[in-house]
Amino acid sequence: MIPTEPIGSIPRPAELIHGIEAFSAGRISRSDLDVLHHSAIRNTIERFEATGSPIITDGEQGKESFITYPLQGLENLAPDGMPIPFADGHIRHLPRLIGGPFRYRTSADVYLETAQRYAHVPLKQAVISVSALSLLYPQGGLAGYSREDYLSAVVAEQEGEIRRCLQKGAHVVQVDFTEARLSIKLDPTLGLLEGFIDLNNLALERFSAEERKRIGVHTCPGADRVSTHSAEIDYAALLPNLFELNATNFYIQLASERDRPRVLKMIREYAKDEQRIFVGVIDPVDPRIETPEEVRERVLEAAEYIPLERLGTTDDCGFAPFGDDMSRSRDTAFDKIRSRVVGTALAAKALGFE
Amino acid sequence: MPNEEHELARERLDRLDRRLRTFCRCSDMLLQIESEQDALQSICEILTEGDEFRLAWIGYCEDSAGRTIRPVAKAGSSLDFLERVENSWGNGPPGLAVRTRRPCWINDISTDPAAAGWAAVATDAGYGSCIALPLIAHDRGGRLIDLGGSLNLYIGERGVFDDRTVDHCADLASCLTHAVAALRGHLAEDLTSGVKSLRASEQRKRAEEALQKAQAELASASRLTMMAQIAASIAHEINQPLTAIVTNGNAASKWLAKNPPNLEEVQASLNRMVLEGHRANEVIESVRAMFKQAPREKSRIDTNDLIREVLTFTTPEIQRHRVMVKTELMEKLPPLLADRIQLQQVMRNLIMNALEAMDAVTDRAPVLTLKSTAHDSESVLITVEDSGTGIEPKDMRRIFDSFFTTKPRGMGMGLAICRSIIESHGGSLSASPSHPHGTVFRVILPTGID
Repeated sequence: MIPTEPIGSIPRPAELIHGIEAFSAGRISRSDLDVLHHSAIRNTIERFEATGSPIITDGEQGKESFITYPLQGLENLAPDGMPIPFADGHIRHLPRLIGGPFRYRTSADVYLETAQRYAHVPLKQAVISVSALSLLYPQGGLAGYSREDYLSAVVAEQEGEIRRCLQKGAHVVQVDFTEARLSIKLDPTLGLLEGFIDLNNLALERFSAEERKRIGVHTCPGADRVSTHSAEIDYAALLPNLFELNATNFYIQLASERDRPRVLKMIREYAKDEQRIFVGVIDPVDPRIETPEEVRERVLEAAEYIPLERLGTTDDCGFAPFGDDMSRSRDTAFDKIRSRVVGTALAAKALGFE
Repeated sequence: MPNEEHELARERLDRLDRRLRTFCRCSDMLLQIESEQDALQSICEILTEGDEFRLAWIGYCEDSAGRTIRPVAKAGSSLDFLERVENSWGNGPPGLAVRTRRPCWINDISTDPAAAGWAAVATDAGYGSCIALPLIAHDRGGRLIDLGGSLNLYIGERGVFDDRTVDHCADLASCLTHAVAALRGHLAEDLTSGVKSLRASEQRKRAEEALQKAQAELASASRLTMMAQIAASIAHEINQPLTAIVTNGNAASKWLAKNPPNLEEVQASLNRMVLEGHRANEVIESVRAMFKQAPREKSRIDTNDLIREVLTFTTPEIQRHRVMVKTELMEKLPPLLADRIQLQQVMRNLIMNALEAMDAVTDRAPVLTLKSTAHDSESVLITVEDSGTGIEPKDMRRIFDSFFTTKPRGMGMGLAICRSIIESHGGSLSASPSHPHGTVFRVILPTGID
């Protein structure tokens, strides 16, 4: 069987999005919001399992966004941090740290625990990378709280988060490293990318080789609404460094690449023997639902470059990394996921797997 | 100069003055700004705060299907103009500026064919002329820095962009480019230096943890070793008194079995058994104290008396091994200040080792020689010499190690204990080959004279 896994996020139901707005405005209580969250999580898991997915997530229904979930409610952040501009012109701002010490308010194992109440198949848990959170520290510095102190705190928080997820039975913990390509856009000399890789490895090196078999890294050009933030950055600049990360599983956006064989050749050249590559076979930004046959062809194409024992499939990105993204429907997301699952199975059969 | 010309000249000077002040504010801001987005937005706001520029926006090129130039910062009036006009690489001054890396301007939007597709929208917004400046600069080495974007300025009047104005604006765009490139470089540098510091801290911490772990393991191993040494020492040292007790017990039995029994000899044997029993107890205490490093009672000891006492204890063994004993004891040696029992242990060990070393000798008479002499003004030398087979050169340096032995049933503790005792008295114990045969052990002990 060729393993197939989602990236993580699913569009939130409208009632949950409206409920969050109502809670922020003080119109509903925390317990009312919790009811909406649990309902969304339960429904998401049911629909995930109905697609035949062997590995599922909770659709990140409880997360504000894939990047800010650990920070919700922290009082030492301002909203006007680094901007992330997207191709369609909209901009998301990262928060900006205004004082130390830094601690997560919520770590991802909390979401895993909730999801485990409803799931009947193995669960995967996504966590944000240390490098993404490094961008919260202001460039001008913070009096009394050095960048080293901040990075040390972030690395420690992530280690604890991943360790708890593994201990609580996550099938795999996926580190979302979508700022990889963005870093090349910001710094074409690759200095920033190399710094990001080194920083992420500081956290990953705290895990044993055995533990790292259940740790993965996701990279993509950052999907939000119907746009991305760094799709124009060539993989040739990223991939040689990406595989220096001390992780076993890599979830790589590929379906929306213009020249997939070229990227696959680079993956074959730079990926290490012990690394498993999950290639993106579904494009969440494309509103058209790929057919299982199309997915099968993409898998077979990838199999020409990546040994079968190291090949897996995934989606290019989550379907709603930011919680307020209503540009895609849940129906579309699950239909695409079903296509991935069925298409991957068709490819496995064509390749001679039972 | 006619008044009208004078007025025009004054207006031109005022405009230049205002532009200079605006550009100075921009430069001032760029020198202090700490983030790229703040730099881009701030420059647009400063430029549009005066009455010269109505719209300022900065865009970066997207390598998308539409090859758009995406606005990332904007300020001024009629901002919806940017949503109504598509800016791409192939359309308008921004695209041309980015492609050619040269300023591109239109002095009359309403009539210039280059603005044909968007003139009406621009005119509605109140723009008369515009300029697009590529975000490029040259570093100190002359290398081109190209951010892949443009600074775009719109003015209400027509015919504003003369050569001087274009140059002024291009210089401003160059300053902005330098500032952004520097900020991006700083981000990478700041992160890299932070990560390096953190990695160094982690390595130090791991090294300290490894050291603590090694120290703990060493301490644990040392305790185990010490326990083994204590057990082996006690077993070794108690062996001699026990052997003596058994020997004397057998002797007493033989004397009793004679007809008539020799009660005097029986009593002597029983007395020796009692003495050896006490000695065994003292030996155990001595070994225990040695490892506890507890202070033992010291007394003034005559070296030669010590030697003679030990020879007396070991007489049965000497006779059993059929060894000739020679003594060369210097008279009137200064007394030692030492633990008598411990020194007796040492001498007894050395003598027993010497006797056993001569067991294998069959072609000459076995001779045990004990000597005492002054080593120097503050110490005494005692030597125990045998005429045995000697010690292999390769073993010589290991004979004082714990658990090292050349004997088939040896425990390897005797000489280690001896050295430990002598060194605890401030002395030394060494060995060397004797000539022509055997080994000589040298015991140097400080005298008790201050």
